[in-house]
Amino acid sequence: MSEYGFYTPEGFSRPVRLSETTRRFAYESLGHKYGLDTKRVDAVELDVEPGFDDLPPLEQYDIAVRRIAERAPVRICDGERLSGAATLGAAIRHAVPVSLKGNIICPSLSHLTADFDTVLSEGLDSMRAEAEKALSRHAGTAREAFARSVINTLDSFEIWIGRYVEALETACARDGSFAANLRNLRRVPKKPAASFYEACQSVWACFAFLRLCGNWPGIGRIDRMLGKYLENDLAAGTLTLGEAREILAHFFIKGCEWVCGGDYGSGDAQHYQNLVIGGVDADGKEVTNHVTYLVLDIIEETGISDFPTTVRLSSHSPEALLRRTAEVTRLGGGTVAVYNEDLILETLTSFGYPLREAREFANDGCWEVQIPGATDFGYIPFDSLAILQHETLGNYESDEPEKRFPDFDSLFEAYASDLDKAVKRIGGMFRPAYRFGEDGSFEGFAPSVPCTVVSLFERGCVRRGLSYLEGGPEYRIRSPHIGGLADTVNSLYALKKAVYDDGLVTLSDFFRILRDNWEGSEALRRHMLNNYRYYGADNDEADAIAARLLDRFADSCASLETGYGYRFPAGVSTFGRQLEWAPGRLAAPHGRKSGEVLAANCSPTPGTDTLGATAVVRSYCKCPLKRMVTGAALDIRLLPSSVEGEDGTGALVSLFRGFVALGGFFMQTDIADPAVLREAQLHPEDHQTLSVRVSGWNARFVTLNKEWQDMVIGQAEGGSKSFGATGSCG
Amino acid sequence: MRVTEIQRFCMHDGPGVRTAVFLKGCPLRCEWCHNPETQSPGQEILFYPSRCVGCLSCAAVCPSGALRRGPEGRPAYDRAACKGCAACASVCPSKALAAAMTEMTVEQVFEVIGRDRAFYGNDGGMTLSGGEPLLQGGECLKLLEKCREAGIGTAVETCGFFDPSLIPALASRTDLLLWDYKDSDDGRLRRYTGAPDRRDVENLIACDRAGISSVLRCVMVKGVNTGRDRAEGVVSLFGRLINCRYVELLPYHPFGDSKAAALGRETRGDASLIPSAEDMDNFAGILAGSNIRVKYRRSKSV
Repeated sequence: MSEYGFYTPEGFSRPVRLSETTRRFAYESLGHKYGLDTKRVDAVELDVEPGFDDLPPLEQYDIAVRRIAERAPVRICDGERLSGAATLGAAIRHAVPVSLKGNIICPSLSHLTADFDTVLSEGLDSMRAEAEKALSRHAGTAREAFARSVINTLDSFEIWIGRYVEALETACARDGSFAANLRNLRRVPKKPAASFYEACQSVWACFAFLRLCGNWPGIGRIDRMLGKYLENDLAAGTLTLGEAREILAHFFIKGCEWVCGGDYGSGDAQHYQNLVIGGVDADGKEVTNHVTYLVLDIIEETGISDFPTTVRLSSHSPEALLRRTAEVTRLGGGTVAVYNEDLILETLTSFGYPLREAREFANDGCWEVQIPGATDFGYIPFDSLAILQHETLGNYESDEPEKRFPDFDSLFEAYASDLDKAVKRIGGMFRPAYRFGEDGSFEGFAPSVPCTVVSLFERGCVRRGLSYLEGGPEYRIRSPHIGGLADTVNSLYALKKAVYDDGLVTLSDFFRILRDNWEGSEALRRHMLNNYRYYGADNDEADAIAARLLDRFADSCASLETGYGYRFPAGVSTFGRQLEWAPGRLAAPHGRKSGEVLAANCSPTPGTDTLGATAVVRSYCKCPLKRMVTGAALDIRLLPSSVEGEDGTGALVSLFRGFVALGGFFMQTDIADPAVLREAQLHPEDHQTLSVRVSGWNARFVTLNKEWQDMVIGQAEGGSKSFGATGSCG
Repeated sequence: MRVTEIQRFCMHDGPGVRTAVFLKGCPLRCEWCHNPETQSPGQEILFYPSRCVGCLSCAAVCPSGALRRGPEGRPAYDRAACKGCAACASVCPSKALAAAMTEMTVEQVFEVIGRDRAFYGNDGGMTLSGGEPLLQGGECLKLLEKCREAGIGTAVETCGFFDPSLIPALASRTDLLLWDYKDSDDGRLRRYTGAPDRRDVENLIACDRAGISSVLRCVMVKGVNTGRDRAEGVVSLFGRLINCRYVELLPYHPFGDSKAAALGRETRGDASLIPSAEDMDNFAGILAGSNIRVKYRRSKSV
C-alpha cells in the first residue's frame, strides 16, 4: 500500500513497485509542485554593453546562451535523484529565453531528436576536442563563426553544470543529501558515462539544457541508449533492477511539470517529448531489454504521460513486449502508442535511407519518424478539405458545375491537380534558402536563426562547420503533411454516390444545399450521414478514394525532389489543427454542417467509425502508408470497460498484431471514459492526474481549455462506438 | 441466413477478438431478453420516433398503409397492419425506421467474418449468436465449416433448445459452445423463459459427450435467479460435464429496453433487476467452493 495514488480507471489497479519517496515525488510533480516557477522568471534580461546591436546574430546568440547558463534559476527538488531543470518561462513559448529591453530576440527549435549517444559514450570533453579541431579546420572560412560558437556553447553548458554542482555541494555539505547527484554531475556529461545512473544523469542534463535554452529535443530510443549501461551494472552486481527503476522513474518524474496558467489551450506540459522503445538496432537485432520494461513499469505505476512513449512493434516482437504494452495501454491516458516497425523500415529504405540508419529510426519528439540525431526536420501542415471546398469546388458557387465535372473522375482529377499546386507552393517556400559554391555545387543554406545548442547534439554539424539549419545534419527533411484527409475523402465519396452513382441530387442542387448549410434539406443531410459507409467503416469503395488521393499526394511530394538540399517526404497529420480549421470550413457533402470539428490525423471523421476499431484499422491500412514516409497517425479511443481483465489485454494484443499484420504505421490508443472526462471538466480539482492523448502528445486533461476538452470528450464518445457492445443473448 | 447484426471486435462473446453474428428467431421468451429483436423469426421494423425528421418518405412507399401521415406531419405507424416488407427502412434517411433483419447468404456472412482475420490470433474468431442460431441449423453448419476450413475459430452461443440431430455435425466444426444456462429450477425456467422441457440439459450432455468444449453462461437477474439453489444447480450440472471449461456470470443489464420499445413492446427494464456486487460474489463463491472456475464482472451501478 502507498499513501500516494494515481488516476486509475474504475475496474483497474496500478501496481506499487517504487519507493514511497519516489512515489511522493511523482505525486507532487503531477500535482503541480514544479514548473509554475517558470512563470516567475520569464527570461534572462541582457544588460549588454553598447555595440551589442551591431554584433552578428550568432555572437549575440552566444552571449545570450551564456547569460542563461549564468543566471537561470537553479532548481533542485526534494528527493530528486537526477538534477538539472529548465526554469525559464519564455522557453515554453518556443523562444530562447533571453530578452533585450524586454523583447525576446531569438526563436528556438523543435521537432528534432537530439543525438545523446555521442555525449554518453564520449563526453563533452571529447566533443570539445572535436570542436577545436573543426575550428582550426574552418579558420578563415565562412564556417569559422559557427565553429567558434560551438566552443562558446560548450563553455556555457559547463558553466550551467557548474552551478548545479555548487548548489549540490552546498546541500550535501549541509546534511549529506544529494551526494549521488553531486558525484554524478561532477563526472557527467563531461566524461563518458560509466554506469546506468551516470548515463541517466548525462542524458537528463543535456536534455534539460536544450530545453532551458528553449528547444524541444525528442529523446529517441531510450532503451537502446541506456540498456547496455544497465546490463553492465547488473552483471557487475553494482545495481539491482529495483534501484534502476527508481533512477529511471526520476527521469520521468522530472519531466512532469505544470506550466499552465497562460493562454495555451493544448495542455500544459513543459517537456512532453515522445520517446521510443523496442525494435531492432542497426544490425537488425532486437533491442528490447530491461530498460524497455522499466519504462513500461514506470508508466504503469504512475500514469505519467509527459514522455509519451511509442513502442516499435513488429511481426518479430517478443510476446512479453506486446503483452506489457497492452497492459499499460489499458490503464488509459494514451501514454503508450505503437509503431509498426516492419512497414516503417520498408518505407524508410524505399525512400533512400541506408538500412542501418533506417533501423535506428525514432521520432521528432512527436510521432513523425526521422533518423535521430542526424535530421534537420520540419513539417508543413495544410488542410486538404480547404483546397477541395475553396479551390476545386469554388465555395460551391459556380453556376453549372455539371459542365466542369461531368463525371466523378473529372472531379477527382481537378482536385488532384489543385492538391498538386498546393504541394508545389510548399516546395517553393524552401528554394530561396539554398546556397551554392562558386562551381555551382550545393553548399548548404543561408544562415537563418542561430541554433548552436541544438547543433551540438546533431551529428555532422560540428564536423561540417554548419549549424542545424545551415545543412549540418546528414538529412534535411521538409515534410508536407496533409490534414483533413478523411473529410476530403468522405466529401468526394459522398458526391460520387449521391450525384454520380445513385442520382439522388444534381451537382447544382447539391452545391446550393451546401451553400445554404443544409438549411431546409435535413432529410438529405441525414441520408448522407446514415446511409453510406465512409472511410473508417471498412468500405472498400470509400477507402479506395483515400488510397488514390494519398497516392497522388505522394506523387506530388516526390515531384519536389531537386537532388540536393531538402527532401520532401509525405505525411498525414492534423495534430489539433482540426480545431483551428473548423471555423473556416463550409458544409461538407457527407452530412456535415459548416464549422464542425472534423477528423484528426489519418483517423475517420467522428461518428463514421460505426463498425468498430478493427474496421477503422482496416480502412486506414488500405491507404498507401508505405509512401507516407514521415508518418500517418491513427487515433483509436476505447472505453475502459471494454478492455478490462485478461480478455481486455488479449484484445489489445490482438489489435496490435492486426495493426502490424495489415501494415499500419502509427497508432495511438487512448482508453477514456467520456463520463469521467465530463466529471473532470466540472471538478478539475479532483482529477489532477488524469491524462489524455490529445494528438501526438498527452496532456493532463484539466489543463486543456474547454474547446480542447470538448474535442477530446467528443472523440471518446465516438470511441464508445468503436466497440461491439456485449451482445449475449441472455 | 436471417441476420440481425454482425458485430466486429467483440471481446465478450468468447475468447479473444471475435466477430459475432446474431441470427433471428428464438424458441424462448426470456423476460430479461437483451436482444428482443432476435426473438421472432420474421422481419420486424424498429421505429425510433426521436430520430424522425418528418420527411414522410416512408408513408410514400408503404404498400400496406401501415405508415401514414400522423399528427404534426409525423408518420404514424400501425404495427398490426405492417407486412414487414421493410420498404420504409430502405428510404428512411435517418434510420428512424430500421429493418431488424437482413437476409444474407452464408458466403456474404463469411466475407464479413473474413475481414477481421488479422485480428483473431490463436484465440479469437467467429461466434454465432442470436436469438437461437441453431434454429437455422443447416446454414450455421455451412458457415461453421467454412470458418473451420479457413482456420477461423468457431463458437456458438446457444440456449440449448435446438434439434439434437445437429450435434454430430456441430462436434466436427465447433471449438466452443457458450451455453446460456437459464436456470436449474424447472418451474422458474418455464415461468421466465417459456421453455417447455429440459431439452437444454439433454443437448448439453450430448454435446459434452460428443467432445465439444463449453462454457456455462448464467445471466444473473436479481430477485429471480441469483439464489443459492440455482448456484447449487449449476454446481451439480457442471459436475456432470467433462468438457466444460468454466462458468461465466453475466449481470442483467437493461440495454435491451430501447430495442423493445422500438419494437412496440412493453419494456420491463428495471435497475432493481441488476444484481448487486454482493449477489455476484456470493453466487461465485458457491461455485468457487466446488472448485469451479468462475469468470464475472461485478456490476457497478448498485
